[in-house]
Amino acid sequence: MQANGSTTPKRRKERPLEGVRVVDFTWVRAGPWAARWLATLGAEVIKVEWPENMDMIRLNRFTVPPGVEPGPNSTAQFADTNAGKLGLTVNVRHPKGLEAIKSLIGVSDVVIENFSSRIMSRWGLGYEELRQIRPDVVYVSMAGFGQTGRQHYFGTMGPAAQALSGLTHLSGLPGEQPAGWGWSYLDDTGGMYGAMCVLTALQHRNRTGQGQHVDLSQMITGITLIGSAFLDKTVNGRDSRRVGYPPGNRTVWPGAPVMNNYRGPIAAPHNAYRTLGGGYNDWCVIACLSDEEWTKLVDLMGSPAWATDGKFATLDGRLEHQDEMDQGIEKWAITLGKYELADKCQASGVRAMPVQSSEDRVERDPQLRHREMFTKVKHPMLGDWKFQSAPFQYDGVKVPVKGPPPLIGEHTTKIMGDLLGVSRDELLQGFEEGVYWPETTPKFDYVQRSIDDEAKR
Amino acid sequence: MTVSQPGNEMPGPLAGLRVLELTGEHAQFCGKLMADLGADVIKIEPPGGQETRNVGPFLDDEPGPERSLYFWHYNTSKRGITLDITTQEGQEVFRKLAATAGLVLESFPAGYLPGLGLGYESLAKDNPSLIMCSVTPFGQDGPWRDYQTSDLLHLAAGGQMASSGYDFEDVPDAPPIAPGGGNAWHIASHYAYIGIMGALYHRDFTGEGQYIDVSAHEACSLTTEGAIAIYLSTGEVVRRHTGRHASVDMSPGIQHTTKDGGHINTTRSGSNLTPARVKVLGEWMDGYGLAQDLLDDKYQDPAVVEESGQHFADVLKNFFANMPLVEAYEGGQELNFPWGAVRTMEEIIGDPHLEDREFFVPVEHPELGREFTYPGAAAIYNASPWRISRRAPLIGEHNQEILGDEFGLSKDELEALKKSGAI
Repeated sequence: MQANGSTTPKRRKERPLEGVRVVDFTWVRAGPWAARWLATLGAEVIKVEWPENMDMIRLNRFTVPPGVEPGPNSTAQFADTNAGKLGLTVNVRHPKGLEAIKSLIGVSDVVIENFSSRIMSRWGLGYEELRQIRPDVVYVSMAGFGQTGRQHYFGTMGPAAQALSGLTHLSGLPGEQPAGWGWSYLDDTGGMYGAMCVLTALQHRNRTGQGQHVDLSQMITGITLIGSAFLDKTVNGRDSRRVGYPPGNRTVWPGAPVMNNYRGPIAAPHNAYRTLGGGYNDWCVIACLSDEEWTKLVDLMGSPAWATDGKFATLDGRLEHQDEMDQGIEKWAITLGKYELADKCQASGVRAMPVQSSEDRVERDPQLRHREMFTKVKHPMLGDWKFQSAPFQYDGVKVPVKGPPPLIGEHTTKIMGDLLGVSRDELLQGFEEGVYWPETTPKFDYVQRSIDDEAKR
Repeated sequence: MTVSQPGNEMPGPLAGLRVLELTGEHAQFCGKLMADLGADVIKIEPPGGQETRNVGPFLDDEPGPERSLYFWHYNTSKRGITLDITTQEGQEVFRKLAATAGLVLESFPAGYLPGLGLGYESLAKDNPSLIMCSVTPFGQDGPWRDYQTSDLLHLAAGGQMASSGYDFEDVPDAPPIAPGGGNAWHIASHYAYIGIMGALYHRDFTGEGQYIDVSAHEACSLTTEGAIAIYLSTGEVVRRHTGRHASVDMSPGIQHTTKDGGHINTTRSGSNLTPARVKVLGEWMDGYGLAQDLLDDKYQDPAVVEESGQHFADVLKNFFANMPLVEAYEGGQELNFPWGAVRTMEEIIGDPHLEDREFFVPVEHPELGREFTYPGAAAIYNASPWRISRRAPLIGEHNQEILGDEFGLSKDELEALKKSGAI
């Protein structure tokens, strides 16, 4: 079969956002993830940091590989979240630092930040101030509750935002407390929204010449992902605190009234089944979205007596007898490895996929390997390190990350000197006065070297 | 507090972009995002309507293609036509539309459109600046390309399920849990949107169109936060925990039950405190007679605070067990503790903070003579507003407006198309 698009890939010379400069004040995950995608699309993203109040992901001790000296430049989670950016250290609470950052914004297109609401204004870096310097600046704020509204000062990390948005309650088994999301989904998706806001506002600027302020709320982002439940409440008055909700991996919990539980079409079977080995992630999901798909599954299982009973022939019957059906399917599933099971099902026209761990995705997933999901890039501390590529191709060409993440302060002298034209003497004085590096914090070798190089100029 | 929303007459940020949307569950959300931001999104459905119209919940629980709340939500601000692109007449009309479009958004199986002579290369001949974005389960090539999927299947293969579920002591032998809401397609749609915006930016400066091939599987695989980085750096696989991050080790519980049977999620409930913060917490809890020993002088010693994390978590657990949910959550937030109540729509609809942001949007359904409240924008654009410009289209609602008034098909031509079943 031929693909839907271009059959003769042409390698694009450049990434689409080349020429766009972004001043990135973000930290932790949601904000940096937003700016990471702008960098991957080709923007020059300058991450602004201050070593005394470091991005806490730089200190994430869980992702320092053994044998690598721990430190703010050694964490793998920071690396992938900030790939392709440049690193600037400047103290925006020092008058000279504030002046420096303002001159940087004067030659930039985008400012993005995810501090608590209104912090940037307190530093003299609010939208109203910055549009004086750069009238068409695109300025995206990513606070938990946004910049407006009576609770704008409420703070959120991913899990709290997920709880408040309604997302947490969507996940779990009926009668148990919510299982929730096992990661900060609203940091990943909040990051997506941050990037979307920047790109959308750039579209507006390209067409009208006008910049703007975009006031994004991480928590509200979550609510927009639950539209069916929202309308079921406002239109039908239905509460989601109800019997059989949330229905685990099923579309309807056995014994509960048959109604849509907001995952798409009602279907059965629709569940996770244990597979051969019985290990922690030895599970496979199977979903039959029609009677025809169910019949194919019955054939594939070898038409066992239980499955050919007429009570399973219709969706209503399968929903009514789900427990018995799921037990029968699992007896068969447990005899096969999860990949083998999924492949057999798919070959027979039955929807099935393995539950994949992180290790599975990196080591065993043939599709991700084929599509070059992980690209090795040289990192000063981590060595040849795998970074996650974009999940799309332009004209048949994969879009890997633009480069490694910045060491903290790695590009300060370059940005201040080459880009902003700060003189050698001013720059050296700034380092002495705590404008570009805290006076009391020891300097990394590469920072000292960059200062020494500057002095020799 | 008032929201500085710009006037309703201002165009959205994507005004002027015409999109042809041929997609159901895979990427209809991407189309909605663009339509609510001002793009002219024309949804092209097969005659009789798209199958997503049969997905519930339904208005008053009565199924029907014009009664799907699911379809309503995902198709706001779009216009709709019917067109059978498997017929020659339908293909001619589609080519005409594509020649004037800025973007074609589609999610047919790989090879389907070229099989009809409507692949990107063919459409771009008449419109070199055309951008086409295909959103499919696995992309246009690779060993899994033709595998059939669903939301559940993507959450399994993408890694969401391997991270979500319960601690053994909470629910013994629980399976990995796929969170609800249809989020695999949201994740795919968000990345599709980003890819499209990149291509639009490129076109603004070069005039060149291009073809974008989005894989829902890759998008999902990118969406498990640190799970991949943890594996790459330690070789270890995360384990599922109730209501909090999956992790390699056992972490303290952060989801607590409140007096009224609700749940509160406290990011790092007992840890990361300082003596000053213990005092703030203790004084507040003392007002309810639930501070236990938090006001004891010993907690003014940072070293004691450091080693008392589990104790603080226990004190908090008892506090929450004696407090109503909303009072506990809002009280904590007022003191700068970033806690979150596990809310459902019952608490969310009518939330005054959301009202301040004009999040609840009335949308008219003139054919029903009714108005319903829809979820609004996560982001307020101060120069080019997000807005729902109309409810989802009825089947073929804009056939005359688009094909007749805008593309100049005559009454007879439209009638012939109708007769042949092409619209």
